[in-house]
Amino acid sequence: MRNLHNINQTRKTKIKAMKPFKLLLTSTLLVLAGCSQTSNQEASGPQVESGATSQNNLPATYSIGKPVAAEVIAGWDIDVRPDGMGLPEGSGSVEDGETLFEDKCSMCHGSFGEGVDAWPKLAGGADTLTEARPEKTIGSFWPYASTLWDYIHRAMPFPAPQSLSADETYAITAYVLYLNDIVEDDFVLSKANFTSIEMPNKDGFYVDDRPDTNNTRCMKDCKDATSIKVILGPKYSLGNTEAVTKSAETKTEHPGRSIYEGVCKVCHGSGVAGAPKLDDAEQWASRISKGNDVLYSSALEGLNAMPAKGGRTDLSDEAVKQAVDFMLHQINQ
Amino acid sequence: MVECRSLIPDEHRLIIHGMVDRPLIFTMDDLKRFPSVSEIRFLECPANGGMEWKAPQMEGLQFTHGMLSCCEWTGVRLSTLLAEVGVKPEGKWILAEGADGAAMTRSIPMDKALDDAIVVYAQNGEALRGEQGYPIRLMNPGWEGNTSIKWLRRLEVGDQPYYQREETSKYTDLLPDGRARKFSFEQECNSVITSPCPEVPLKKKGWYEFEGIAWSGKGKIKGVDISFDGGVTWRPAPIKGIVIEKCLTRFSYMYNWQGEPLLIQSRAWDETGYVQPTFKQLRAIRGGNSIYHRNAIHTWKVHSDGSVQNAQLA
Ligand code: HEC
Ligand code: HEC
Repeated sequence: MRNLHNINQTRKTKIKAMKPFKLLLTSTLLVLAGCSQTSNQEASGPQVESGATSQNNLPATYSIGKPVAAEVIAGWDIDVRPDGMGLPEGSGSVEDGETLFEDKCSMCHGSFGEGVDAWPKLAGGADTLTEARPEKTIGSFWPYASTLWDYIHRAMPFPAPQSLSADETYAITAYVLYLNDIVEDDFVLSKANFTSIEMPNKDGFYVDDRPDTNNTRCMKDCKDATSIKVILGPKYSLGNTEAVTKSAETKTEHPGRSIYEGVCKVCHGSGVAGAPKLDDAEQWASRISKGNDVLYSSALEGLNAMPAKGGRTDLSDEAVKQAVDFMLHQINQ
Repeated sequence: MVECRSLIPDEHRLIIHGMVDRPLIFTMDDLKRFPSVSEIRFLECPANGGMEWKAPQMEGLQFTHGMLSCCEWTGVRLSTLLAEVGVKPEGKWILAEGADGAAMTRSIPMDKALDDAIVVYAQNGEALRGEQGYPIRLMNPGWEGNTSIKWLRRLEVGDQPYYQREETSKYTDLLPDGRARKFSFEQECNSVITSPCPEVPLKKKGWYEFEGIAWSGKGKIKGVDISFDGGVTWRPAPIKGIVIEKCLTRFSYMYNWQGEPLLIQSRAWDETGYVQPTFKQLRAIRGGNSIYHRNAIHTWKVHSDGSVQNAQLA
């Protein structure tokens, strides 16, 4: 058996890169073969041992995939690193950033980054990291300013990511840094001075050093039974059938629901940016009287603070119309 | 906007560039021509259980441990693709980027990329679902789920990490001294009893199979112990079925319940010798604000009427 075990081990390492099912199969067969070794070799069928476990004529590379030119890569490569790699040419002032932020960000994050309702705070929380309720913000927690530039450019504003120009991103980044007392109000952020920005918590991180616990397998008398204090969580509410039926009902979905939930709800759910709220029939009465075609075209082409297609110009007209239909359906209920 | 977009596989491309000899762009057809691997691996959000750092707040198993799954993933080893582009010696990190609205990104160390990371296109034998990153996602076995970038479109090789938002503002572990761990990728050994649990109470007296699952991002589960008295006494619980590295592993223990109240717990350990910590041990070191990686021994209180309640021991 010991020998068999060894064979098994070498096989496992050899075929490590293969499918686990194959691996399991191979080891099982080996064990079976091992058991029957003394009795009947012939009856054990095809010998797995003689089958190939790896192919020995493979090339170093397969020459699959097409070379890609630097100009093409540049179109994809949007990341920015702490050392400034990836920053495009450009600049923007705190002053310009304030206007842009007010226009594009404040409805969620608040004019001073204080966060409206449950939307994330972008400022404050200095010296709270050791407190019971730490406030981790850009100023109090983030180690690098490059992350801010990168994330605003990549993912914000929430309804229309990757819509900001380089200069706009410099300006808004400068303004958010200003909100966190990291730059002065007359500051102009640019590619040239970017890496001079130092974040207050830049030294606040260290690389994972776990394991940080070393529990042992104590089996008995591991603690004093009388010392155990039990803190109970909430009771499980089995038979909460109402909630279950409700969610089952909403499953027979309106085709426009998912677009509404994914794209339109950020504004129309909470009234962000002055968007008419879905549950406020009064706000909708005069709009509905304009007729569906007008509402469709507002949704498709945009209207004041309402971006065309809710900021998602990749959506088909049909999908946006369905979302409008869904909204009207909800309003009429 | 982070939402599931419908990507068209014929139009989807994966580009690998940066510190490489030959930057390449791949179609889906290209990727499927490479030798494939299929592996059963768990995938877990590092915030699984994160609501429970300060007190037991959740009603049941689905909420204390539900951000976890285990599937067969099929795709191309990232190391195979990296051989194709030829990583330069200075290439130590890879930025992985998704094609979602927010273009989600994470920095992955080269060691992981060359070890067992996979660019996957199938899950349980079928094409990835939209929510799972169709048509391709990265799969970093045993690591926090967030690093397994969905809708993968770009891999950039560099000589240092990129410090993206999801590895600074989020997915860093704030500790009591105000400093935070970064790049805490591994999901350490964990386990939970799935029956009984709040959703699966004991209905009458008699014999029951108490069951659960254990998993470790570092490799194979070596064993699981079970306690009925809140950790005073422990007994080894037999492992059921196949043990695969970085994969959910079942354990079970037959128990004759006669209506006595119980404090049931499971404690797993893995092939590195690491033993799942008590919540007290974990909290003593990490405090209550680190959000992620709460892999403590979990306690269910079984009442004498057979109902089961989430609990913590102080
Ligand atoms: C419709 C609401 C909305 C608007 C408008 C918006 N954001 Fe956000 N912002 C969010 C949400 C939601 C998140 C969290 C996203 C997540 O966690 O995936 C966020 C996150 C952020 C973060 C990261 C915060 C952190 O601590 O990790 C920054 C920085 C940010 N937004 C900046 C901006 C800027 C700058 C603008 C304007 C250009 C903007 N946002 C517009 C909703 C919005
Ligand atoms: C960034 C926030 C935002 C998003 C996202 C958004 N809307 Fe709006 N929407 C608005 C605002 C603000 C208005 C009011 C515009 C006005 O009347 O000045 C509006 C108005 C509308 C109206 C009424 C138009 C009219 O003519 O009176 C419709 C219909 C509408 N939105 C549909 C949608 C649909 C469908 C989506 C998703 C595809 C969507 N919106 C996403 C902000 C938003």
